[in-house]
Amino acid sequence: MIEKLNAIGGQALKDIEATSSLDSLEQVRVAVLGKRGALSEVLKGLGTVSPVERPLIGSAANEWKKKVEAALETRRAILEDIVLSEKLKNEKIDVTMPSRLQHQGSLHVITQTTRRIIQVFSRLGFDVTLGPEVETEYLNFEAVNIPADHPSRDMQDTFFLGPGVVLRTHTSAVQMRSMRTQTWPVRILCPGAVYRVDDDATHSPLFHQVEGLWVDSNVRMSDLKGVLLFWARELFGDATRIRLRPSYFPFVEPGAEVDVSCFLCRIKISDSCRVCKGTGWLEVLGAGMVHPRLFEMAGYTKTQNLTGFAFGIGVERIAMLLHQISDLRLMFQGDVRLLGQFG
Amino acid sequence: MRISWNWLSQLVDLSGVESPLALGELLTSRGLEVETIEKMDQGFEKVVTAQILDYRTHPQADRLNLCRVTLGNGEILEIVCGAPNVKAGAKVALAQVGAHLPNGLKIVSSQIRGVTSNGMLCSEAELKISDSSQGILILPESTPLGLPLADVLGRNDAILTLKLTANRGDCLSHYGMAREVGSALLRKPKPIQVDLLVLEKSLISVHLEAQEAAPQYFSCSMIGVKVGPSPDWMVKRLEALGVRSVNNVVDATQWVMLELGQPSHAYDQDQILGRQIQVRRARPGEVLPLLDGQTLVLDGLECVIADQERAIALAGVMGGGNSQVQLSTQNLFLECAEFDPVLTRRTSSRHQKKTDAAHRFERGVDPTGLPLAMARLVQLIQELAGGQREGAVFLSSVLASDSGQSPVVSFGVHYLNDFLGFERDKEPLTLSSVREILESLDCAVDCAVKQGEDSWFVTPPPYRLDLKIQEDFAEEIARTIGYDKIPTTLPALTSSPVFGASSLPRIQVMDRAKESLVQSGLRETLNFSFTSQARLARLGFASTVSILNPLSEEYAVMVPSLLPGLIQNTLDNWSHHFGSESLAIRLFELRPVFSTLAPIQARGQMETGVIETWKLAWVMTGPRFAGGLRCEQGSVDFYDLKAVMDHLLASLGTRGIRVIPQSTSRSGQNPLFHPGQSAEVLVGNSVAGQFGLLHPSLSRDLKCRTPIGLAELDWEVLTKLSRKASEFPLFRAWSEFPTIERDFALLVKDDVPAEKLCQIAIKSGKPLAKEAKVFDVYRGAQVGGGMTSVAVRVIFYDEQRSLQESEAEAASVRILENWKKELGAVLRG
Repeated sequence: MIEKLNAIGGQALKDIEATSSLDSLEQVRVAVLGKRGALSEVLKGLGTVSPVERPLIGSAANEWKKKVEAALETRRAILEDIVLSEKLKNEKIDVTMPSRLQHQGSLHVITQTTRRIIQVFSRLGFDVTLGPEVETEYLNFEAVNIPADHPSRDMQDTFFLGPGVVLRTHTSAVQMRSMRTQTWPVRILCPGAVYRVDDDATHSPLFHQVEGLWVDSNVRMSDLKGVLLFWARELFGDATRIRLRPSYFPFVEPGAEVDVSCFLCRIKISDSCRVCKGTGWLEVLGAGMVHPRLFEMAGYTKTQNLTGFAFGIGVERIAMLLHQISDLRLMFQGDVRLLGQFG
Repeated sequence: MRISWNWLSQLVDLSGVESPLALGELLTSRGLEVETIEKMDQGFEKVVTAQILDYRTHPQADRLNLCRVTLGNGEILEIVCGAPNVKAGAKVALAQVGAHLPNGLKIVSSQIRGVTSNGMLCSEAELKISDSSQGILILPESTPLGLPLADVLGRNDAILTLKLTANRGDCLSHYGMAREVGSALLRKPKPIQVDLLVLEKSLISVHLEAQEAAPQYFSCSMIGVKVGPSPDWMVKRLEALGVRSVNNVVDATQWVMLELGQPSHAYDQDQILGRQIQVRRARPGEVLPLLDGQTLVLDGLECVIADQERAIALAGVMGGGNSQVQLSTQNLFLECAEFDPVLTRRTSSRHQKKTDAAHRFERGVDPTGLPLAMARLVQLIQELAGGQREGAVFLSSVLASDSGQSPVVSFGVHYLNDFLGFERDKEPLTLSSVREILESLDCAVDCAVKQGEDSWFVTPPPYRLDLKIQEDFAEEIARTIGYDKIPTTLPALTSSPVFGASSLPRIQVMDRAKESLVQSGLRETLNFSFTSQARLARLGFASTVSILNPLSEEYAVMVPSLLPGLIQNTLDNWSHHFGSESLAIRLFELRPVFSTLAPIQARGQMETGVIETWKLAWVMTGPRFAGGLRCEQGSVDFYDLKAVMDHLLASLGTRGIRVIPQSTSRSGQNPLFHPGQSAEVLVGNSVAGQFGLLHPSLSRDLKCRTPIGLAELDWEVLTKLSRKASEFPLFRAWSEFPTIERDFALLVKDDVPAEKLCQIAIKSGKPLAKEAKVFDVYRGAQVGGGMTSVAVRVIFYDEQRSLQESEAEAASVRILENWKKELGAVLRG
């Protein structure tokens, strides 16, 4: 019987080695180890063997069973690897094909720029206030020291919607609304759309401003310079310098136009610089010390030592500088070729 | 304002100012912005006067001549010239080697057909003196040789164009600029050499009736003048300054205005009827023919100069055509007056006559300057046109005590240092330095007796009408020492501001909405708030808010909705998209729209009657995915639109939302939308907005390439029940126990909303049925007409324990019963 066992076992190992698929491997397993398998059949005949031989044959049969099972496992692992590698071969794809891209959203460059401007000033303690875009002529002009029939009205060509009703020409009216509803100290930024009768490559009938107002006791003009320098460096880089030139805005006295040094020709001013046109300076905002008339208009009574500064930034101007956008009007055309460029 | 460098240098010593460029920088740094500097001799360098001695034909070219030209210094040059008008002895303009002519031509020594030409004889066109020319420029015989041509032609000047701010009316003249430059250089302008007129009775009687409109009126007559063309030097200078020469008398008035800033007017005295001048208000309906040929009908608010019968000038704005000085005029009536700034501005605006005179009166002329201006005018006319002065009358409603009295402003050096941010008692602002600056500005400085040592009483000069309060003087001081000298500090945060008016919470919620839409792949856009009524009408919209003075019809009304703009954006994007692939356009906008219920007019100081409603709107069209293979693409449909809506509402944490078909809404179907694929969004009981596909007929009319999805929500309604900026989303625990799912294939009528099936499932399966969702829908032959097969998955669980199958089973039975009872839905066999 031992010989028979050896013959079955030896044959089984050969058969296992010869299999080429998991199916044929299974067939071999059934043929050898199955209920009616060769090995099982031999063991069924164990009863006819003498009690002395029985344990020897039994242990030999178990030896063979273990050997065959181990061989089956080994062979199975090999065959499975072959199957997997076949499968992988079939699963090969072209990685250069286009991706199933999701649509990308973005914020308008004006929203982004407004946020950047506000973020910097927020760190200095400014709050943010919104106001209506349709204003009374009174709040837009008279209340900020631009009386009717005064030549300073020419500085801001105005859209009228009705008697005494205008599309705001600046967000200064929001400052006045704020001052009328809260006492000082005031530290606010007023962002938003403003309107002027103007339409060319550098002027849009609708554009955006961020105006700032800081009112407190003993605010100095040097504070205005410090706040604007801080802002300019945060936005345009550490090496930025600012330059104030005397100018006139009816709601401030003294008033100033404020330039920042060109961020492109920082090291050496280039005549061909497309940003500053070789001047080394970029005009970015108007500013000044709040005209005392505005405190009167706001109804502030205790004005001893009450001073303040105000500034107005054109958001489009900053966006055009930072992103080097050539034509202001491009920003208001909803053109996906433009909207996708800034984030 | 155009300023001549030469004229300015006659009025103030400019030594130390190297060039017009340096002057420009000086003025700009003092707040008088110089926009351009035009060197009139640009291109005239190395162009000199010369004389042709003789000429002969070029040996190699019949059409060219070889000219021998002298500069008068013995040197003789040979110049090749092709002009037909060369003549021996002619005085000409010679461009020497190295010249760079106004027309761009660079002169080099060159070989022309074998002969060297050492320069060029110039034509007027080459010098850009005129547009075209026949041959070379021939100068008068008296022209001296070897002089720069610019000098001979009176072009050796530079013109500075200033962008003067509205407060500096005093700088609207050369003398005014001379004062300003003088104060910068610490020197006085040169006095105008003229004798003031002695007042005496005039042939013309003058009545100053409208005293509030004309506080001062100076007049005089001149007899026997000879009107004619002005001399060349005057014509050239006026031209350079942008003034067209008319005749010697009119030019004299212009000259005085450009010199001293005081407008004046000359009338033909013989046209003044009744020998009488009235300065009065116009009569309503009164007709006035103006110098420019236009005839005005006056409304009675204007101030006019009139004779016994009729108006002969619009005061401060323009003279009348019925009294204008002509070549035949012999006797003049001259006027030098002060007209009220406000009235002049109103008159010139109403009649759209923005004249140089009105420009100056609006800003205020020097109230003490009339006698000097009149004397100068008389002097100039006598020089140019002869004549004899007769009579001089000065009428003034200004009290002698007020006349020329500027306000006295009191302030101290401590104030200046504190306000500007300098240290007290240190340079640059000390008692003596400030006093020096004030005096350089022509201010009278009086040390205050009562104010203590650090204060002054300061009286500004009469022409500085803008200096009224201490802050005005602070600016004068600051701009004199230079804004760059002001230190840089940061302000103190003294106490916390009142945050009641803060808009930050509102902005934060807006940012959250924008972020959600960006995540959904939409791009923010910004459109103008105005459009045309026609564009709106095309989409069924109408605006109730019109602009009274629009830029054009295109921008004549305020938008009532953001959708027309977004649809226009879509069409515009398509119009410049040439590819064969479908273009993805996904845009959103968050902006106010405008409407009114009543006539628009100011009500009090704060109210306008215009309602501003913030809207959030978006448009989507084109492929569902931005990339991938074609077979994976589909066009955006209603449910893509709804996905963006769902994401938005989830981000905002909006409560109480219902989405219903527009056809069943109270406001009814909006014709803008597809009647079967549009919905209304309700938040609480209020309509928050609508979304859906654009109506196919509009889509056809607009030639849409792909179906357009639209949504517009009212921001206030939407956010009333949304999470506030101050609220935090709260944590919700989930069940740790396994869930049981049951899928049902139901047969229902095809008008049963899917949402209804889910709602019934949750309600009937309480408390174990936690979620229900439709995961498949089939309509077609296998289910029969009017019916739909809907597959619903219900998910059961309990937060506290594991469920028994039997419990889910029992709940499912209840659900099926109610489906059948309420909707007639049965399990598909």
